[in-house]
Amino acid sequence: MKFAEVHPNLAAFVLGCLEAEEAAEVRHHLDSCPGCQSELEELRKVNRALGAAPPPAAPPAYLKGEILSCVRAEQLPSSNKVVAADGSSPLEEHGRSHRTYRFNRFKEFRIVLPSVAAAALVAVIALGVFFGFLREETPVATIQLIPTPQEAAGLDGYWGVAEIRPQPAGNQQVELKLNNFEEPKPNGYYEMWFVSGEKRISAGSFTSVGKGETRVLLNAPPEASDYHTLLITEEHVDKRPASSREVALKGDLP
Amino acid sequence: MGFATRDILNHRQRSPAHEMTQRADEPSDEQLMTNLDGPGVEVALSKLYDRYSRTVFGVGLRILGDRSMAEELVQEVFLKVWRSSGTFDPSRGGFSSWLYRVTRSVALDLYRKRARRVRPVSDGQLHIAAERDPSAGPQEVVDESWLSWRVSRALEVLDAPHREVIDLAYFGGLSQREISERTGVPLGTVKTRTASAYKSLRKELAVQGTSREALR
Repeated sequence: MKFAEVHPNLAAFVLGCLEAEEAAEVRHHLDSCPGCQSELEELRKVNRALGAAPPPAAPPAYLKGEILSCVRAEQLPSSNKVVAADGSSPLEEHGRSHRTYRFNRFKEFRIVLPSVAAAALVAVIALGVFFGFLREETPVATIQLIPTPQEAAGLDGYWGVAEIRPQPAGNQQVELKLNNFEEPKPNGYYEMWFVSGEKRISAGSFTSVGKGETRVLLNAPPEASDYHTLLITEEHVDKRPASSREVALKGDLP
Repeated sequence: MGFATRDILNHRQRSPAHEMTQRADEPSDEQLMTNLDGPGVEVALSKLYDRYSRTVFGVGLRILGDRSMAEELVQEVFLKVWRSSGTFDPSRGGFSSWLYRVTRSVALDLYRKRARRVRPVSDGQLHIAAERDPSAGPQEVVDESWLSWRVSRALEVLDAPHREVIDLAYFGGLSQREISERTGVPLGTVKTRTASAYKSLRKELAVQGTSREALR
């Protein structure tokens, strides 16, 4: 039977988008039309397939621009496209990460941060030797970092402290020791702030290993010594570099 | 079906890609892939994105159940398309199948990464970022996605007016009269489009070989 010969409302009947009277009329027609009964079964198969359809949603408009920007950026120095000489599957080649630009920025940061921290530590030790301060300085303050109620719900076996050691130049060195503190979201990272009222000074950014202990060295300028609250917020790499209000941990200096 | 009609209409208004069913005079997916290795890379990748981003995103939502991860998936998939275009061999199969394999691979990586983030909480339950059946393993979840992909592709090749009636009727749960009132299209036209959309959809699903395994 050709499609044009079937009842014109049959597809709508299967879709369930007819008014009650129209649906009753189609049912009545089906009782006496073998052709439409057969067609009905075929249309119901289409309807079942629609059940597997993904939701009618589109990615955010900015995403395309980000992808093209990333392509543009990667093309600048030299083409780093991978062309498999053996024609192997693209799913298996590419051992390196395919992280995207906005995630790369943070990923690179995560790679750089330990190096910077290590370099800072080496510099501190070298200065210590020079000034006869080879021994580890005792912190002037150890602050317990308390998770916000929302954050605490997802933490198991967490504890965290910040040890503050003023440096010869007046900078405030902070050593964070966090146990079982969850990793930031894929496009996020943590940032530590010295807070006084509405004013904030950043001590730097870091990530967490999740399970186990995370140790990070951060530094804030001398002015931070007058700020008596510590906050750790979760930030997002694709947003403007400003403090978010997503506080994860908080501590107060004595 | 869990999708607000307003959202469906908004998606349609915001998404020019949705209006872009491939015209006969436009380059094929396979032709665009060859352009990814030359000066026309941005135009070619942009066109492929317009044609497939909704499918990658939608299937990503089904697999990962999380919007931000689905966005990450889209981004990684299209960068991988660009970086790996040299490995695409049209003699082994069409672009859509190849892109599906790329999507599945990236989605599995993201799924496993998310699984590592699953952590126990105080009441002994598992906290999972997305609302999915926790009993479904990654392979089971991904296995379902091939059918989802093909149905999505069948829907994407419908022209915009036909896709609209399916979206509003099936996903939005509107009657034909309500669709007419909502869109300003005469009721008779909505009826004609509904029948025609189902005819096209049925044909497209059959072309994609979906009928045997999924239309039972």
